[in-house]
Amino acid sequence: MIDQLRQTCRKLLEEGAVKVVIGYGQDKPSMMPHPVFITKPEECDRLVWNDLCFANLAAYITRKEIKALGKPAVIVKGCDERALVVLEQESQFTRDGIYVIGVACTSLPASGVGNPRAAKCASCAVRTPRYADVTIGEAAVGSSAVGSSSCSTADAEFAQLDEFMKKTPAERFAYWKAELSRCVKCYACREVCPMCYCNRCIVDKNRPTAIDTSATIKGNLAWHIARAFHQAGRCVGCDECTRACPAGINLRLLNQSLAKSVERAFAYKAGMDKETPPVIGSYSLEDKENFIQ
Amino acid sequence: MSDVIAKDDLLRLVDQWLAEGKRVLGPVKAGDGVILYAPLAASSQLVLEGFVHAANSIKEAVFPRSETIYTYKFNGHEIELSDVDPDSTQCIVIGARPCDAASLPVLDHLFNWDYKDKFYNARRAATTVVTVACSEYDDNCFCTSVGLGPAAEQGSDAMLLKAPDGWYEVRAVTDKGTALFNGKTTPAPEIKVPISDGPAKKFDTVDIETFLKNNYESDAWRDITMRCLGCGACAYNCPTCHCFDIVDEGDAAGGRRVKNWDSCQFGQFTVHASGHNPRAVQAQRQRQRIQHKFRIYPEKFGAILCTGCGTCTRNCPVSLGVLNTLEAIAAVARGSIEVK
Repeated sequence: MIDQLRQTCRKLLEEGAVKVVIGYGQDKPSMMPHPVFITKPEECDRLVWNDLCFANLAAYITRKEIKALGKPAVIVKGCDERALVVLEQESQFTRDGIYVIGVACTSLPASGVGNPRAAKCASCAVRTPRYADVTIGEAAVGSSAVGSSSCSTADAEFAQLDEFMKKTPAERFAYWKAELSRCVKCYACREVCPMCYCNRCIVDKNRPTAIDTSATIKGNLAWHIARAFHQAGRCVGCDECTRACPAGINLRLLNQSLAKSVERAFAYKAGMDKETPPVIGSYSLEDKENFIQ
Repeated sequence: MSDVIAKDDLLRLVDQWLAEGKRVLGPVKAGDGVILYAPLAASSQLVLEGFVHAANSIKEAVFPRSETIYTYKFNGHEIELSDVDPDSTQCIVIGARPCDAASLPVLDHLFNWDYKDKFYNARRAATTVVTVACSEYDDNCFCTSVGLGPAAEQGSDAMLLKAPDGWYEVRAVTDKGTALFNGKTTPAPEIKVPISDGPAKKFDTVDIETFLKNNYESDAWRDITMRCLGCGACAYNCPTCHCFDIVDEGDAAGGRRVKNWDSCQFGQFTVHASGHNPRAVQAQRQRQRIQHKFRIYPEKFGAILCTGCGTCTRNCPVSLGVLNTLEAIAAVARGSIEVK
C-alpha cells in the first residue's frame, strides 16, 4: 500500500500535475507520524502510512504558507475528507485546484496505552474516502467501506454523549467547569482544526476585546462556547482538537453534543454528502421560520 | 551519610503542608489520564512515579497563566486605581522533575533584568521546590544536551531519589530544602541511590548557536517548520517560555489589568498597531523561538532558555518542538540534509 501511495505521489510530481504533496512522514521511529510537504519526486520515499497517521491534513490547504507552494495533492482518510467536503461547500478551495489522494483505513489504531485518543475510529462510518481522485487501499473486511449519510442518533458514535447527557445540568456544568479549568488557551484545538480557518479569530479581536483572553473560568468558558458554536453543523468529528489538547480536555464530547443537535433538528451530518446543502451557509425561501424570509 | 523518608511519611508530610494552609503543587492524573502539575487537595492525588514528564511545567507556581496586577474603578470622570499585593502564599512544589526546577534560575534573570517583577519575585521567594530525580526517560528527553541531567540540582531546594522498598533518599540542596525536611527524615548510611546517566546527548549547543548566528535567513527554517500550525502548546507548557501580554478586562464600572501568558507562535504576537507584522509567516515565528532559546537568551543572560524536558515535542500535534527542530538543524549544519 505504501509503495502504491509513494508511486502515485511521485507520478503526480513528475508530471507536474501538482507542486506539492501534503502527506505523512516519520523522521524517526520514536515519533508520531507528522505532516510533510513533498515537492520533489525523489523525496516521495519519505512518505509513510500507518494507523497512527491521525493529523487531519485538510487543515493545511487553507493556510497561506502552503497555498504559496502551488497546487497541492493532499492525502486524506475518510474522516479528513469530510472536512474537505465542508471546506469546498464553504468555498475555501475549488475542487480542480487540489488533487485528493484518499487512503482507506485498513486497520484500526490499537486503543489503550500510548494511544488513548482514537475514540473516533471505533465508530467510524467512512473508512474509505468517497470523493478522492484516487483511493489507495481497501478498508478492512467487516467495516463499512462506504459511509452512510443517513442519520441515526442511536448511533454508537454518540454512546459517550448519551451517557453524559443522563447527568443533571448541574452535574454537567460541574464537569465542564473542572475540564475547562485546565485550559491554558494555547489554542492547539483551534490551530489543528480544518474548520478554524478565519483570518482573525474572534478570541484575537482586541479593539475592543470580544472574549476575555485570560485563562480564567470565565475566559475559558467563553472561548470554548464560542469555538463550539462556530463548529455547529460544520465539525466533522475528526477529533484533532481532542488529540491536540495538552490538558486532555474532552472536546469530543462538546463537538458531539452539537453534531447530535444538528442531526436531530436538520437530519444533517457535516461533510457526509457533497450534494446536501450545508446547514450553516445555505438558505431556502421555503424555510419554515419567518425571520429568514 | 544519607537521609531517607518512607513514601507513606512523605505523603503524610504533604497532607501536613496542606493543613498548614500551604499551596502544594504536584503531578496529578487529569482528564483522560494526562499527567499535569496542578494544585493538590490531598496527598492521595499525587503521582510521583510511573511517568516521564507531566504534559505541562511548574511555571504556574511562579508565573501564573493569568495574574491581576492592579484593579480600576470608574467614579464619574475619575478613575480609581488599586494595587494588588503580590501573592506570598507559601507554596511547595513536590514531584517536579529536575528539568522543571532548573527553569527557575533561568527565569530569575528575565524577571530581574531591567525591571524587577514583584509578582514573580514574591511567588519565587515563597516557593520551595522538591524534585524527584529521574530514573526513566523517553525519546523526547534531552536534558544532557543542554548541560543538565537526571539529578541536576539547579533550582531544586531538595531532591528525592527513589530507593528500594518504598523509601526515598532526601538530599537537601538549599536552606529552604533543609528546613522543609528538618526532623522528618531518618539517617540511613547504607543507602546511596545511584544516578542514571540519562538520555544520550542529541546535539551540541555550541554547534547550534554557531548555526543560529550564521543562518538567520536560511531556507532551512521554512523547510523544517513548514508543518507548524502556530499554536501555543509548546510555549505554554514550556518551563522556560515566559512571554506575556497585558490586557484590561472589565465593564463600565471597572475591571482589572491582567498579565496573561502569550506565545511567539501566534501570528498576532508581533502585529503592530499599523497592521504591519514583521513576522508574517510561521517559519519566522519558529525561528524566533529557537533563536531566543539558544542564541539570544544565552548572549544576554549566559543561560540557555531550555532545560531539555521535551514537553514541547511531546505536546506538539505535528511532532515538532525544540528537539525535532534542533535535530533537523543539526542535520542541516552537518550537511546531511539539503536545504531546498
